[in-house]
Amino acid sequence: MNKANLITAAACAILVAVSATSATAGTLENLERERAITLSNLISDDLSPIERQDRLRNAKPRLVDLERMVMRDPSLKGKNTPDVRRAFSNYDMTFLMHASVEKDRTLIDHWFEQMGVTTSSLMSASVGRR
Amino acid sequence: MKKSILLAGIAVVSVLAVPNIVMADAKWQPQSVERLVKLPATYLTKSIDQDFRRSELGQAVIGAEKNIGLKAQSLGELNDAVTIADGEVKTELRHRVLVEKHAYLELMADRNDLRRKQLLTKRRLLDKLLNEIADQKGSDNPRQRALIAKQEEAQNRFESSISKVDIQLFNSVDAPQSKYGKKYAENMSAIEKLAQKIDSHQMNESAKLNGKAVTQEEYVRALMADTESELAILQQEETILGYMAKLVALDAMALSEEGLNAEIADSDIPDMSSPAASVDLFIASN
Repeated sequence: MNKANLITAAACAILVAVSATSATAGTLENLERERAITLSNLISDDLSPIERQDRLRNAKPRLVDLERMVMRDPSLKGKNTPDVRRAFSNYDMTFLMHASVEKDRTLIDHWFEQMGVTTSSLMSASVGRR
Repeated sequence: MKKSILLAGIAVVSVLAVPNIVMADAKWQPQSVERLVKLPATYLTKSIDQDFRRSELGQAVIGAEKNIGLKAQSLGELNDAVTIADGEVKTELRHRVLVEKHAYLELMADRNDLRRKQLLTKRRLLDKLLNEIADQKGSDNPRQRALIAKQEEAQNRFESSISKVDIQLFNSVDAPQSKYGKKYAENMSAIEKLAQKIDSHQMNESAKLNGKAVTQEEYVRALMADTESELAILQQEETILGYMAKLVALDAMALSEEGLNAEIADSDIPDMSSPAASVDLFIASN
């Protein structure tokens, strides 16, 4: 192998190395899908409390992983799209698991709070005709 | 003899002119900016130069410089021959020198055309490279800047909660660390080791200007300034070539005049064009 070929090989290796660091597409979409399924399980009427608990137990580690994948995804850095802007403009809703643990709340409490539904607001609510 | 030298001179010039048509079409299409921007700054110049040398235009410049060298050599030899020759041979050799000088200047002008093409292409390439670096650095778009600020803020908040989440979620028996979490930790330690090695690698040293480390953008800007100065110098060289061409033309006129004077001096026919010069013919007694 002559010198020119060696240099080309080195340059190619750099390129391969650099392109290998580019991120997997769709981390944010995956997180959003998983979060939507988790939330629908949390408020579903069709599940018994035990079933709900089981599903939540399975979903939590997955959500944690997906949240970390999104946060570590370099392709999202500065990606000025509506999805990315929306995701980072509301940390508490996007990174539900991390935010709920940070605030020492359960997942459902944290989500209700973000939606503006608190225990006191529920307690003071009354059934009435509109 | 003089005619044959002239014809030989013209032949030399026309032989050189044939490859020049091919040389004028020679192109350099530099490698993509996206690839260059990923290279370490220290390697950037070498990569651009190497890419140019391999191109059609690079080969044409190398060929032109070789021809110029050969032509300069033959000019030097002819100049030496002129100093030792005399008489008609000297005049013929001087004529040959002028033809060769003309050919030399043509070669220089062609080489400069190729160099200009190279420098203009390089300037365009560096300009694109600067734009690419600016794009990657983060744009001037205020919405994007705001987004990056939010992402950094989220990152800080996230980092501070990671260990708490790990303790609450993964330290229990029924929820062990996930496959992703384990692999990520393993890979991170490998990445850190590799990153340390890369940081200390001699080819990854940051580029230096006047002994001071500079960023990639500063380095490319310096390359751009160098290219501009080379273009300016090239323009100045063309002025020099212009003066040289004028000198060759004046030398040719002087040589032609010398030849004419010698022809007149050698003539056996007396100058009787004016009445005063021929008056003796009329006053002489028969």
